Amino acid sequence: MEYTSPLEKTLRAIALTLVVIFFMFPILWIFLMSFQTNETILRVPPSVVFEPTLTNYQALITGKLETSAASLEINFMRNLFNSVFLSVASVAVAMLLGVPAAYAFARHKFRGSEDIAFTLLSFRFAPPLLVLLPLALYFQQIGLADTYIGLIWVYQLICLPLILWIVRGYFEDISPDIEYAYRIAGHSWFATFRKIALPLAGPGIAAAGLLAFIFAWNNFIFALVLASADKQPVTVGALAFITASGIQYGQIAAGIVLSIAPTLALALYAQKYLVEGLSLGAVKG
Amino acid sequence: MTMATTPGRAPRRFRISKRALPYVLSLPALLVCIGILIPFFTAVFYSLQRYRLSQPWARKMNWGENYLNFFSDPSFWNTLKVSLLYAGLTVVLELLLGLAIALLLQKRSTINNFVSIMLLMPLMTAPALAALMWKLMTNPGFGILSYFLTLVGIDDFRWGASSSSALFTVILVDIWVYTPFMMILLLAGLRSLPKQPFEAAALDGVPRIQQFWRITLPMLTPYILTATLFRLLESIQQFDIIYAMTQGGPGDTLTVFQVEAYLNFFQSTNVGRSAALLMILWAITFFISNIFIKNWLRLRERARGEA
Amino acid sequence: MYDKEKDLIEAFVRGQVNRRGLIKGLGALGLTASTAGVLLNAAATDALAADFDWQAHKGKSIKLLLNKHPYTDAMIANLDNFKKMTGMEVTYDVFPEDVYFDKVTAALSSGSTEYDAFMTGAYMTWTYGPAGWIEDLNEWINDPSKTNPNYNWNDMLEGVRSSCAWNGKPGGELGSADAKQWCIPWGYEQNNLAYNAEMLDAAGVAVPKNIDEMVAAAAKLTGNGVYGIGVRGSRSWATIHPGFLSGYANFGQKDLNVNDGKLSAAMNTDVSKDFHNKWVTMIRDSGAKDWATHTWYQVGTDLGAGKSAMIYDADILGYFMNGGDNKMAGKLAYAPFAANPEASGPTPNIWIWSLAMSKFSKDKDAAWYFMQWASGPEHGLFGATQMDFVNPVRKSVWADDMFRERLNKSYPGYVEMHDLSAPGAKIHFTAQPLFFDLTTEWAATLQKMVAKEVPVDEGLDQLAASVDRQLKDAGLG
Repeated sequence: MEYTSPLEKTLRAIALTLVVIFFMFPILWIFLMSFQTNETILRVPPSVVFEPTLTNYQALITGKLETSAASLEINFMRNLFNSVFLSVASVAVAMLLGVPAAYAFARHKFRGSEDIAFTLLSFRFAPPLLVLLPLALYFQQIGLADTYIGLIWVYQLICLPLILWIVRGYFEDISPDIEYAYRIAGHSWFATFRKIALPLAGPGIAAAGLLAFIFAWNNFIFALVLASADKQPVTVGALAFITASGIQYGQIAAGIVLSIAPTLALALYAQKYLVEGLSLGAVKG
Repeated sequence: MTMATTPGRAPRRFRISKRALPYVLSLPALLVCIGILIPFFTAVFYSLQRYRLSQPWARKMNWGENYLNFFSDPSFWNTLKVSLLYAGLTVVLELLLGLAIALLLQKRSTINNFVSIMLLMPLMTAPALAALMWKLMTNPGFGILSYFLTLVGIDDFRWGASSSSALFTVILVDIWVYTPFMMILLLAGLRSLPKQPFEAAALDGVPRIQQFWRITLPMLTPYILTATLFRLLESIQQFDIIYAMTQGGPGDTLTVFQVEAYLNFFQSTNVGRSAALLMILWAITFFISNIFIKNWLRLRERARGEA
Repeated sequence: MYDKEKDLIEAFVRGQVNRRGLIKGLGALGLTASTAGVLLNAAATDALAADFDWQAHKGKSIKLLLNKHPYTDAMIANLDNFKKMTGMEVTYDVFPEDVYFDKVTAALSSGSTEYDAFMTGAYMTWTYGPAGWIEDLNEWINDPSKTNPNYNWNDMLEGVRSSCAWNGKPGGELGSADAKQWCIPWGYEQNNLAYNAEMLDAAGVAVPKNIDEMVAAAAKLTGNGVYGIGVRGSRSWATIHPGFLSGYANFGQKDLNVNDGKLSAAMNTDVSKDFHNKWVTMIRDSGAKDWATHTWYQVGTDLGAGKSAMIYDADILGYFMNGGDNKMAGKLAYAPFAANPEASGPTPNIWIWSLAMSKFSKDKDAAWYFMQWASGPEHGLFGATQMDFVNPVRKSVWADDMFRERLNKSYPGYVEMHDLSAPGAKIHFTAQPLFFDLTTEWAATLQKMVAKEVPVDEGLDQLAASVDRQLKDAGLG
């Protein structure tokens, strides 16, 4: 490897530290906040010295918050479940539909293929509000309003184009020769797709899936407009701690921490695919 | 070899002709999306109407009037200006910062890999919740960032509450949330660059700075374009962060397209104007995504040419 | 179970024991006040049931759309009594206030049949009513076969009740003879003064009696990390409606002029400019630093956390901040506030959490059973005395000794504040379909004035011109 001067090394380390501080400090601060009561959170000046308490998490998990004023009911775990369910199901459906389509676009140039692909991708970039409001009306009429199926369908707007495009790029990078060889050895198209193409495109699929998951997880408005309270995700649920009788800062913080945790776990798990898979299918060395 | 796998005698049960196969494969995906086209055209129809929910008796087709009105409407021009400014600033800043971080993390090592995953955490925080976090941290009473500022002698910084710093504040939050996205795409690009040109340059004694300008940057350009356009498309449609932090205020400082359209629909229930605003936004994004996709395709063609 | 208690309660319902004797007696039996309340309510509803066929909709099920609010908590705490009395099933969706009205608009505009009744504010019915999403409730209120004889509609505070009624004509007077009752008042807020008594004492500042005194007092109280006066400032209609409009109306100022059914801007008069000037100065000198993002909850929490010395906002914010685990709990006090020294009394603009019936409801009569129970005198009394269902909208609840005593004990000045302000308390806006457009723009203008982007006089002229233009465009001006 090339030689790096000690000065450069130090500068790099300092720069990296600053970057990590900027991006991680807010998370750390919210993390600390989630172990405090309103009393210590609202202290001036702020301080990192406090007696940690688990009451916020306890309240979220048991669904009951006892304050001196009243006992509040919290459905945060339900929100968390909804987020997990909606994101996982939407990504799964998007993969089921998107990966074969991506393969088709990558391997077979057919009439209109670019147009279809473009149409699919352009959905990803349409303002969601534009389609959402008429959609609410139609969902009402066809009975999809307030159903998980309806929501998962709408979530395809976020997930499907992302998966399609990233995975398509990945397929294109894999030389078709291996697949030809396998097919000539007498295997069916489907077997080739399943045993050769899919495993080779693994990192791309994993990375696309993770990104789609993140975007689905972060969505706020779809469920709000289209579904009732028992199907709301964490993004809506975390707002429930702001009420006329006071703001529960500690619970907001705990809610945010809990809402990041599943995606983080997934990202750590898929870590080795992430960077490799996200090359968006461009130039491979 | 069994009979079933003999070439030319593949199982006939699901026999699909070679020409039809790609259509069959892509059709389900397309069908799912076609459903979305119906509400889309409904929205186009709305945008051509005088349509306020609070005045149902006055509803009628007014064709392009909603659009024509924009020309003489200063608040529309403000919306356009603010949206473009916001999108431009966030994307440029995030690109520079994201590229710098990607360069720092370029070398494959356990620490670098770990840091790059950790840095994705802001991206995993839903923008709506991220805005909430930053609101807590910038609270002039107990906010930690406000406190830090007072430590260095600035005790009158008003973050999102002053029109001079509101744009800065929401851009800061946007940078915090989305730079990791830029970073990870560019990092993926950097790491997939071929090694040979760099080795050759090192042998010739080309300085590292020169290497960056003459080799890294040109080779990375396709990635940069892709990531930039992708981000641009999202940034021009920003809603969550701005609405949660300032509701478009103070004054009309931050009334970007989606905020304006949202308020027009949900508060004023002026469906016609809301839909027309969104159509214009859609036209802008369509234009950008067209460039984006063309670029992407060209990049792919070139990649194949080199391979 | 609870046999002795039941006897005692029934004696009360028959009128043999008075209210205080009852609660004392129950206390002696070891019952907490709130359990006693639920039991009492159960007995009261039993008594009610005698004169009216509450079981007419037995077995039916209705669904409510509710905002996360103490009123909702109070209703849910008492809901079993309703279910028992009627044999009906009641389910509900509760949404956080930040997104509540978006949810309501989304549900109603798509014609959703999911919800039968929902919480709303009176301003929102100015959209929902004309849009054809809600029912005129007069049809039910005036039908003795559908409304129980003890409902006592006239028991509702006059200003509050008429503020929920509008004939649907732009600029039409609220509560006019031809008005439709779009919603039923449930709980309401007057906008008045709540202050930190300790801080005012320490600074030697007297409770301000008019806008000039308030500007001066707020300035004096500002310092040491505390700001003088909390008012809302976000870019929203909600910034105009509380203290600001209450003070503005006290000077006899209006938002719009109504002439022959035509509307025009009325906010650029000299008196208005003078009031705006004082308001803007007050915020600049002694408002919150982040005033321009302040909604009701920041105004409230800052008072509760001791960050602000006074608020001129919803009285119930001051009420809530004086309890719970708020730092300043027990240190707050209340006063009626008339901004104009020449005014005969305060003229608080009000916010009314009310109940409305969806036009898309599949069983409106059943929904009305719930609505009349939830807005009836028994639940009102239960909520006001046992839960945080303040401010009640019924005169009978305000006349209740236990309720007054409870307030007087922990909320000094609250009862007098209410009694003094109630005669002038009503919605002071002009009812018309552009309410949200115009008030949002008004708030944005206010923000620009405070930020010195535009001088007050010029800003108001611009606002008035823009308002006139929008009214014309909408065919109202």
